[in-house]
Formats: sequence, C-alpha cells, structure tokens
Amino acid sequence: MRGGGHQDVIAMEWSIHISGDEEAGATLRPGDINNFDCGLKLRPVLALTAQLIEEYFGPVRFTRCAYGNEFCEHLLPTVERLEAVVSAARRCGLQLTFLTPYVSDAGIEALKPLLNLLNKNGEPCEVVFNDWGVLNLIRREFSKVVPVQGRLLNKSLRDPRITGMYAATAPGFVPQAAVVSLRRSNLDCSSYAGFLSRMGVASVELDNLPQGVDLSFTENGLKANVYLPFGFISTSRICMAAGLHYQKKEKFQPGAPCQRECQTHLLEYSYTNSPLGNKDQKFYLKGNTYFYYHTEAMLRTLFEQARSGLINRLVFQPRLPMMWERPSKLMEERR
Amino acid sequence: MKVLAPISSYEELEMLAESGAEEFYCGIVPREWLERYTGAVWLNRRNPKGGSLQTLSELKQLVDGARRYGIPVFITLNAPYYTAEQLSWVMELARALDGEVGVDALIVTDINLLMQLSQLKLRAALHVSSVAATLNSEAVDFLLQFGPSRIILPRSLTVPEIEKMVAGYRDQVEIEVFILNDGCAFEEGFCATTHHHTVGAFCTSLSEMEAEFEGNRGRRLTFRQTVRLRRNLSHYREWVWYVNGNGCSVTPNGLPYGPCGLCAIPDFYRIGVASLKIVGREASPLKKLASVKMVREVVNRTRAGAPRLRVIERAKALRQTPEHCNSGYMCYYKVNDATTE
Repeated sequence: MRGGGHQDVIAMEWSIHISGDEEAGATLRPGDINNFDCGLKLRPVLALTAQLIEEYFGPVRFTRCAYGNEFCEHLLPTVERLEAVVSAARRCGLQLTFLTPYVSDAGIEALKPLLNLLNKNGEPCEVVFNDWGVLNLIRREFSKVVPVQGRLLNKSLRDPRITGMYAATAPGFVPQAAVVSLRRSNLDCSSYAGFLSRMGVASVELDNLPQGVDLSFTENGLKANVYLPFGFISTSRICMAAGLHYQKKEKFQPGAPCQRECQTHLLEYSYTNSPLGNKDQKFYLKGNTYFYYHTEAMLRTLFEQARSGLINRLVFQPRLPMMWERPSKLMEERR
Repeated sequence: MKVLAPISSYEELEMLAESGAEEFYCGIVPREWLERYTGAVWLNRRNPKGGSLQTLSELKQLVDGARRYGIPVFITLNAPYYTAEQLSWVMELARALDGEVGVDALIVTDINLLMQLSQLKLRAALHVSSVAATLNSEAVDFLLQFGPSRIILPRSLTVPEIEKMVAGYRDQVEIEVFILNDGCAFEEGFCATTHHHTVGAFCTSLSEMEAEFEGNRGRRLTFRQTVRLRRNLSHYREWVWYVNGNGCSVTPNGLPYGPCGLCAIPDFYRIGVASLKIVGREASPLKKLASVKMVREVVNRTRAGAPRLRVIERAKALRQTPEHCNSGYMCYYKVNDATTE
C-alpha cells in the first residue's frame, strides 16, 4: 500500500461539492462514483481519486458541503434552492459553504438575496468570494457570513501544458527559483496574510497545481482548503456554449444572457499539438471555464501534504463545478 | 479623454508623440530578474524578451523625453502576484521608478503590492491593472481604500456596464478602457495560463487541438446535436482568430487588424472615460504608429463634436476591412450603430 495506511491521519475536514439538497447526505467510496453521473470521460479520474482517498484516508465522512459555483453568475441558484440546501445541510448535520463567482453589477444584485438568506441563518455560514466586489459587499451588508478567499483569487499559474514540465525538468528547462515562485503566490507574504486577516478572512481555497503547491504559507496563520480532482485553467465572461442559441454574428458577447446550454454537454480537448511530448493530456470545457484533472502523482503528492497537516480541508468535486439545478415545478409555482 | 499608447524604446518617442499619443505606458524587466526567473516567470504580463526596457537609465531617458512633450509615462508592475522574495525586489524597483526615474504612475495588479505601495506615499500615482478584474462597482469601491488614481477595466465589460461604473465613481477615480489591438478570449485576470513561447496562448492552442463532445451524464449526443455543437465550436474558433489579432496579420498597407473599440469612442467620450488604451508594447513601431494615428483621428472627430454615427462610419472606414467589421467578432464593445440621430 503506497499510501502507507490511514491510521495516522490527522484531523482534516472533508467537504463535498453538491449539486442540490438531495446530495447533502452523500458518502464517498469508490463504489459511490455511480451516484454522481459523471459521464464516461471523467469517470476514470473520479474512480482513481476515490480509490486513492480510500488508500490514504480510509472511509471518508463528509462533515461539510459546498454549494454554488465559482465561475458564472448565470448559474447562481434561486433563493428557494439555496434555502432547500441550507435545510438539508442542517438536517444531515453538515456545515455549509456557499460558492460565489466573479460578477458584474447585475451579478452583485443577484447575489444580495442569497447572501441575505445566509446572513439570517442561525449559524455562521462560509461564503467563498472570487471577486473583491463580493468581499466588499459581504463586509458592508452581510457581516454574519464568514468570507473565504476563493481559488480564482489565488493567482498561481496552473497551465497544465507546461507548468508541470517546469517542475519535472528543473533546473534544466527553467531555474529552481522560477519553480519555487510558481508553486507559491502572494499568500507567502506575511503582509498579505495580515491584510486578509483584517478583512475577516481566515481561510483560502486553492487548486492542486500541476507544478505542485507550496503550502508553507499556512505558517502565517491562514488555513488552506484544496479542491480535487479538478483544477481550473481559465474562465471567461464570453461563453462558447451560450453561443449555441445566437445567430453567428451575435455570438460570444460578454455576459450575454443564456439558456444554460452548458448543462447539456462538456467538451474534451486532447493536447495533440503539444510541443513538449505530453500529448496524452486532456482539458475539459464546461460552460465558460476550462479545467484540468489531477494525475495520480498529483493526487499522491496532495494526500501526502494532507497527512503532514498542511491542509485544513479537502473539497471533493464529483463533477466539473458548473452545476445548475432547474427549479422544480413546485418551486416555480411558489415563485 | 486621452489616447494611451504603448512604447518600448526612446526611439519610438518622437514618432508616437508627434502622431497623437497623449499618455505612454511601458514595462521594464531588469537583467537580474531575467537571469533569476528566465521567461518562465514574467515581471509584467509580457514576455521579458519582448516589449520591455531593460535598464533604469534607458527608462529615464524615455521619461525625460516624454516630459518635454508634456506626456506622462506609466510603468507596468502588473504580474498577477509576487511572492515574498519577489515583492521586496519589486518594492525596491518601484522606489527607483518613483524617485530616480520619475515615472508618473505604476500599473499594479497584485492587491498585496497595491497595498504596500499605497503605504509608501509615492509621488507616482497608482493605476489598477485590468488584470485585477474590476468587473463591478463594488470592486471599484473596494479598491478605493488603496488610493488609486485610475482603474483599468477589463475588455469584457459592456458599454452600459462601464457607464454605470464611471457614473458611480467619476469624482473619485479615473476609468481607463481598452480601445485597440489584441483581445483575450478569457477573463484576463482569471486566466492561469502562460503565453510562454514554447506553448503559445492557451486560447489559440485550443483551436488546433482535437475536441470531442460528450452529452451530460455521459449520454450519447444525437447526430443533430453533434452537428450543432461542432458548428458552434467552429464559430468560436473563428472568433478566437479575431481575438488573436486576426491571426496576427496586417492589412496590405500595414495597418493592424484585430479587436477594436473605435466605434465606442463617442460613447466613452460622453460617459466620461479618462483614457483609451492601445494594446501592444511588443508590437512593431509601425503597428504602434498606425494604431495611434487611427485612434487619434476618431478621438479628434469626437472632440470636435462630429455626430456619433458619422464618427462610427469614419472608424469603420479607417479599419479598411468592412468584411471584418461586419463579422461581429472584431469588436471589444457592441454599440448601437443603426439608429438615426
């Protein structure tokens, strides 16, 4: 067993990104993968992830769930849906983290009733912000929610085409100093940790980077939450999927209204034109955002870091995190 | 409303100043940075081997020369982040740029650097880079705590969205927008890729990759669905070609192609936008010159009070490529050009 058993696992929180209230009681074992309807292309990644989690940590019990999305304001849930998730989480004894995307002024307005609901909630609820404007709004109007810096505001490069190669070939391809800086971010500046603390932020969310992620910044007092098994590469207000229902000339406008076409499909890219030999790499487009998946080596490195106590929370995402629930008929009628 | 031009050497100064540039921005990548990090880590969002000056003395010559024209010079320190090791180095550079060189503003993305610089009480102003992704009025409000004199908005905002932000903060901070050359298929501040020459831009790289659709939850797509999705993908790749400066091409007489907001200039003038940014520090002197002349002509007509639709008509004529203007894919901003005034 390469994971070396799981008897010495330190206290670390497990969170699952759910698509709605009915998943609040989800469990995770390799056999549960079927429950997440992940599709054929992503299934091997999830199966490997679940297998390695079992190997390193044994049976995992989620004590927290994440709901919402970080990438598109058109996928914000209705207040009714969020209310249902809040109730389900409470019923299942789970803590709740609400994920929010980068937003326009219209998105700010759409967020207000959702944040208001969480602000009125009995227990303090985490809200992940990926936009400084959202943090500003939270601090001014919704002081009872607990802000967490999202992974979009962690600016480490994570270009799976090349940053993993940098790390693998240093110091031949690039100098070690470059690799060190690519594994870090401004989080390793104590001044930034102090700033976040003054903003009421105690936790930051991260991707597991292809070049490896340096978590030594946690010595500054910040807690690190890491997502798996997907990382984001790039995102845009201009959405390919949203273009489906527009005339050619009208396609690909920033923030254009959509019919949530992203919910119908995903697009897999094969890096067949790689100049570096890593032609077996795959990238995934879901809606307006591109993702990479974690390789076995990346997962093992991450789990070793978790076992050494550097990670506060692992957030398991059984799907590419672009879910949106169509409001049920009942909820539509209530509205 | 000023015309902000890229510049990368003293030799370009006279040409661009005489042609209508009213503000300059450029980058500097000292040799020490290049030696330590090579092209793998960029100091200022541009490949260190292109588009930036290398020494403070070169930059001082440029700043002093620009001052003789009454033109301010802004310097990009706009990497998405700096580590602790890099931060102390960049702070030292910023002090030298402010004191010894006398630049007029520093363009910054990293909130941590912005905070640190705001505490130094520099003579140079602080501009927030578009890479900071200021997409809403709340974000403008958040950034004001650092005392910036200007915020550069991302290309992905619409004219009405920009208008609202300018109206809300007109008296507190200047707003700069992109006006010509080079787009970005992604939200620049939320793109975690590199344009390193080995792999190129991710967006254009994707256009050459094999791509396969899968229905939600792994279901098979029908033939009709696949055809629709493939057609849309083809349109998207065409749009990316436009975003990438029409495949990095130029017109037969050397004018730059590529994304453009010339038709929105009358709207920006009315709204109160402070500055129009021409992209392309690394571009050839010829492209910079043609770009400045093109933007300045539209600005001059606007300032002179020409009717909006006439200005738009002239802007399209200047591009000399109606087929590209009509594609709908070459515009930063969609403007209403069909109403009578």
